[in-house]
Amino acid sequence: MQALEKTQVTETDDTRRLAGWSPKVLLRDAGIGLALLLLIVFFSVSTEHFLTPNNISNILTQITINLILAVGMTFVILIGGIDLSVGSMLAFCAVVGGTVLTIPDLSVFQAVALATLAAIGTGVVCGFLNGWISAFWGLPSFIVTLGMLNIARGAALQVTDARTIYSFPPSFNAFGSQMIFGVPVVFLIALVLVAIAWFVLSKTVFGRLLYGIGNNEEAVRLAGHSLMFYKVAAFTIAGALVGIAAMVYMARLNIASPIIGIGFELNAIAAVIIGGTSLNGGRGTVIGTLLGACITGVLANGLILFGLSDFMRQMITGVVIILAVIIDKYRERLTGV
Amino acid sequence: MINAETVRAQAAGVSTPPVLELHDVKKSFGGTRALNGVSLSIQPGEVHGLIGENGAGKSTLIKVLCGIVRPDEGAINLAGRPYMPTTPREAKVNGLQVVHQEFNLLPYLSVAENIFIEHLPRNALGIVKRQEMHAGARAALDAIGLSDIDVHWPVERLGIAHRQLVEVARALMTESRILILDEPTATLTARETERLFAIINDLRSRGVSIIFVSHHLDEVFRICDRVTVLRNGETVFSRSIAATSQDELVRAMVGRKLQQQMASEIVSLARPEEALSLVNFRHLQSPHAHGISLRLHRGEILGIAGLVGSGRTELLRAIAAAELPLSGELRLEGAPISFRSPREAINAGIGFVTEDRKEEGLILNMPIAANVTLASLADVSRAGILDAKAEIAVTQRLGAELKLKYGGPGKNAATLSGGNQQKVVLAKWLARNPKVLLLDEPTRGVDVGAKAEIYALIRQFAERGLALLIVSSELPELMTLSDRILVMSQHRVVGELSRPEFSEERILQYAYQGEQQQGRH
Repeated sequence: MQALEKTQVTETDDTRRLAGWSPKVLLRDAGIGLALLLLIVFFSVSTEHFLTPNNISNILTQITINLILAVGMTFVILIGGIDLSVGSMLAFCAVVGGTVLTIPDLSVFQAVALATLAAIGTGVVCGFLNGWISAFWGLPSFIVTLGMLNIARGAALQVTDARTIYSFPPSFNAFGSQMIFGVPVVFLIALVLVAIAWFVLSKTVFGRLLYGIGNNEEAVRLAGHSLMFYKVAAFTIAGALVGIAAMVYMARLNIASPIIGIGFELNAIAAVIIGGTSLNGGRGTVIGTLLGACITGVLANGLILFGLSDFMRQMITGVVIILAVIIDKYRERLTGV
Repeated sequence: MINAETVRAQAAGVSTPPVLELHDVKKSFGGTRALNGVSLSIQPGEVHGLIGENGAGKSTLIKVLCGIVRPDEGAINLAGRPYMPTTPREAKVNGLQVVHQEFNLLPYLSVAENIFIEHLPRNALGIVKRQEMHAGARAALDAIGLSDIDVHWPVERLGIAHRQLVEVARALMTESRILILDEPTATLTARETERLFAIINDLRSRGVSIIFVSHHLDEVFRICDRVTVLRNGETVFSRSIAATSQDELVRAMVGRKLQQQMASEIVSLARPEEALSLVNFRHLQSPHAHGISLRLHRGEILGIAGLVGSGRTELLRAIAAAELPLSGELRLEGAPISFRSPREAINAGIGFVTEDRKEEGLILNMPIAANVTLASLADVSRAGILDAKAEIAVTQRLGAELKLKYGGPGKNAATLSGGNQQKVVLAKWLARNPKVLLLDEPTRGVDVGAKAEIYALIRQFAERGLALLIVSSELPELMTLSDRILVMSQHRVVGELSRPEFSEERILQYAYQGEQQQGRH
């Protein structure tokens, strides 16, 4: 009877490990969560306005875009790639979506639906090209997406003639600042995306093979899987998420400009890295990315309330990125790879 | 002067003290004994051949001598003084130079920079004196007869043979007492080999001792004064070259006692149906128009022997479409078929256990179950969603069948020993129920106990009708497992042996003969 119970226990343990929840991963995510908690406690105690409902929903709104971009970035970094083009792509997707959104004679529903399709479609095309070019010619994604960074920015400026698009349907913008129990709806959208990404990465064949490729590409290829498909898919997913982020951006700020999103790719990469995902690929979780995005958001907000200048804030964020990787190195050494 | 004297002393038959002496040197890596008591003595001004089968310990011995690997036991004396280098630099300071088998040149730097890389001539400001460097390099190349190479050229412009000679030139830049040449002729053509031999003769007359590692016995007989044979990490004998013969060396490399193992009669399980056949099958590196032709039956274990570089691994990789074949025909169960990717080969029923488990076979940092199901994910998922319970069940079933010793299906593959890791790779293919299984060095890095288990498993697979093609550098292994053995040399099949004809001497004779016939034109 006891023996039976025991096997039962290890079987669920094995099931969890297969879904990517080894004790080591849990420990890592818990560590990042603890760091976030300490930051929140610190700012709550040291500043007057940090722990107020208003400020909290403010933070959540602020991190939404970065979180959505970082979820896509997680897919790319897991296969050992990098996507430097998401900031420029955000601008390109936004101006394409914004142009559709301002077409006269469309009902609000039609305009929003078509604009969403257009923005996501633009992101998908750019992401597909990123993935396909780097996989087909065996080029480092760093180079290809550096090219796309310029192409997408140039395209955004070209189609708008460098002008800003505004005057979107009022109900669209009302949606952007909608709250449910003090939580911004756009943040809830980001959370849903995190949940979907978590499911895909930990429960599906697709996710399993992305981790596999990040760990040992050749073993995956020789086991009969098309590396091309999975690489292209990861970049395409990142592109689609850029399209969603572009819609959220327009709903919140009421404009679509070809010069938005500069440097956003680096914030997204920072969130992924602080969240414990390895830049070499094959290791990390989207839950870590969620926590990483929260840490950068809390830091940005808290340090300003603490009375530090924006310049100081930027320096401290930089220190945190480096610290996160150093801590990760030690953790790896202590618990064994 | 001293050198001239020692040469004369030798000629007069007076025994001179050896310049290098090894006594009972041992070295283990993990559980594997690489060196198990090597003794060796090198006289000043002699060319000493060092031979042995793949894995006999030659490479480890060289690493010990040049300070890359520290031995566990044993004593080494260099010119009468204890010698135990801890860095390659220390070995060089002591006058010991190595020309390695794999290239250590920097491809984008010039020939001159490569030759002088260890001691670039510099002025007081630390700026390289280019003219002096180029003149020095010119002289060094002229000295070994490479007048046709421009020292300004980047090394990448040179052919492989010239690169090897540039390596030699670099090693000769420093006055050395002992020069180790590791398979120096492997990439050379006949003309360049002659050139190298002239250099060796010149060095010998100047009193430099040379350790000459080679697979080519004819070369050993041409250039060496003495020869030492290694087998399983031990010195079998050292002998004057005049007092031995090719046959004796081959026998010494193989070891006589192994033949008795062969006595145990194993009945072939081969069935009449053909599983796989190749007709004039060529891979990209194959230099021969006719390629490889062979026939493999269901339940048959076909061994492929040959020296390193004879094209065995390339053959398996081309069959599995890991690298696409160039031409020729592949028939699976009699029907011609061609694969454009490993995926197509796998779907047709071919499994491929690669030579390099860690780089190509396993995902070490992922769970054992994920590794077992890697090639059969469709069987353990529905609509793309993984069924973890099914994965665990498959792993437990195959784990029991293969006697896998593991902490649990969820533990990472990295936690397993070499033998158990190999069983996971086997399980990955068994989960697909293949028709043909290709095995490249199936017991590399596996301890003796697990080896026997893997042999038994391979026989079991054959019993079930699986057709097996096995490449191995360990001849006893091939002779234990195979129903038939093909010997490859220079990307061709040069001999075929049926079980009653198996002997290591015959296999090696085929392998070396093929080499000599084909080698140099």
